[in-house]
Amino acid sequence: MAIKKIEVKRDLCIGAAPCVFAAGGVFELDAENKAVMKLKDGEKNSGPVEVGQLEDGTVNDDALRAAAEACPVKAVYLYDENGEQVYPQ
Amino acid sequence: MDRFDYLIIGGGVAGTTAAETIRQRDAAASVAIVSDEPHRLYSRVMLSKPQFFLEKIPFDSVWLKKPEWYDQRQVTLLSGRSAVGLDPEKKAVTLDDGTELGYGKLLLALGCKARKLPVPGADRKGVNYLRTIDDAKEIIARVKEAKRAVTVGGGFISFEMCEMLRLAGLEVTNVLRERYFWEPVLDEVSGCLVEEAMEAGGVDILRQTELKEIVGEDGVRSVVLKDGREIPCDMVIIGIGACLSADWLKEAGLEVGHGIWANEYLETNLPDVWAAGDVAEFNDLILGERIMCGTWVNAQVQGRHAAAAMTGERQEFRLVSYYTAHGFGMNIGFIGDVMPGPDRMMISRGTPDTGSMVHLLIKDGEIIGATLINRNEEIGAIVKLVEQDVKVEMHLRELSDSDFDLKSLLPQQG
Repeated sequence: MAIKKIEVKRDLCIGAAPCVFAAGGVFELDAENKAVMKLKDGEKNSGPVEVGQLEDGTVNDDALRAAAEACPVKAVYLYDENGEQVYPQ
Repeated sequence: MDRFDYLIIGGGVAGTTAAETIRQRDAAASVAIVSDEPHRLYSRVMLSKPQFFLEKIPFDSVWLKKPEWYDQRQVTLLSGRSAVGLDPEKKAVTLDDGTELGYGKLLLALGCKARKLPVPGADRKGVNYLRTIDDAKEIIARVKEAKRAVTVGGGFISFEMCEMLRLAGLEVTNVLRERYFWEPVLDEVSGCLVEEAMEAGGVDILRQTELKEIVGEDGVRSVVLKDGREIPCDMVIIGIGACLSADWLKEAGLEVGHGIWANEYLETNLPDVWAAGDVAEFNDLILGERIMCGTWVNAQVQGRHAAAAMTGERQEFRLVSYYTAHGFGMNIGFIGDVMPGPDRMMISRGTPDTGSMVHLLIKDGEIIGATLINRNEEIGAIVKLVEQDVKVEMHLRELSDSDFDLKSLLPQQG
């Protein structure tokens, strides 16, 4: 099922930034060294945000999954259309 | 003799990412990973985090691949086995049980070992290094019983372990050979800021001294220093660096220094042999020098890069690495090359009384690295300045002004 929502758990994030290397169009680090997502309206936050709100309109599920799986502290959460958590499993 | 098209030595993030990438690019090839740990891929980053040690997050979150992941991708995982020999003519690797494995292409991603402290008693129960998940398990169990701990070394491992041990309620003494914590990677002013935070957090720091012996009967009772002082403790954690341990590679004719020498394509001097991750001492084109880098992202990106090269896409490796440490209310960042030297100049940004400082390392008019104390919001801009080889020699005065916006030195985009 398609990925609908993304969230960075800020209490887990340590700013190692593999998500930024995996999907630089979506993620960056903020002043607290935590990952945030870049949104269409110019806002940046750790979510949860819907995929449709992302500034990068071209990002696909594989790229989001790769970014989440690259995180060494499993701080990137992915949810499907039913709100079910698809990663981390 | 079994033969694999792609043989990977090392089951950490570099080796596992390489296997994954090879499989994505070549569905039919045979791929094997030899890992000296009896485990699948786990998060070595998690191992130093206090939340993990204090079991605030479930232990099993450390696993990054499910057991079936390897079979599903037809990646053979030979775990709990070490490589002990390499014959580059025959294109074969020998394992510790005598098995010989042939290869078409070989990736050396075996990581580094914790440097051992050569003192009597260092092999006692209760003395730990922090490198593997099994080390972490022992420490987790020990912390529950122990009252007093000694940490040895003034770097990343000691810093994070000191914080974890204090959070667990132990009395903690840190023993340093250097004059101050994190010397020489941090300048003295930054090092002292870190020490102040650690001391305010209840860590007793003993500088410029070394262990002579670790004393005890069954476990640890105390450590004795070279100056004669004795510190009672029930556990010792040693974090004095990492090193390459691989005589078998030298014997095979592989060129090694502190790590395995590799060029900017991550190729070693032997045909069809690449190196990636912590163990690679590679030619960094951005910094203009040969470096080793022990970060998670570097290992991940190099594993992917080497795998692409091994499957036909040969490109220069370019990455500005950085990592951060958190503890005692402090955020510390390290970018690129942070080792001082005669060929480089250091610029300070900010003053210690504000509790936040940056030191920029400049070589040949370009920033090659930086250390940041409570100022990680500047990591992004500094990484870009390093990456784009921006000439800063005309702006040294601005750089030292902590109100100056570093981003303004970046070439305008679009």
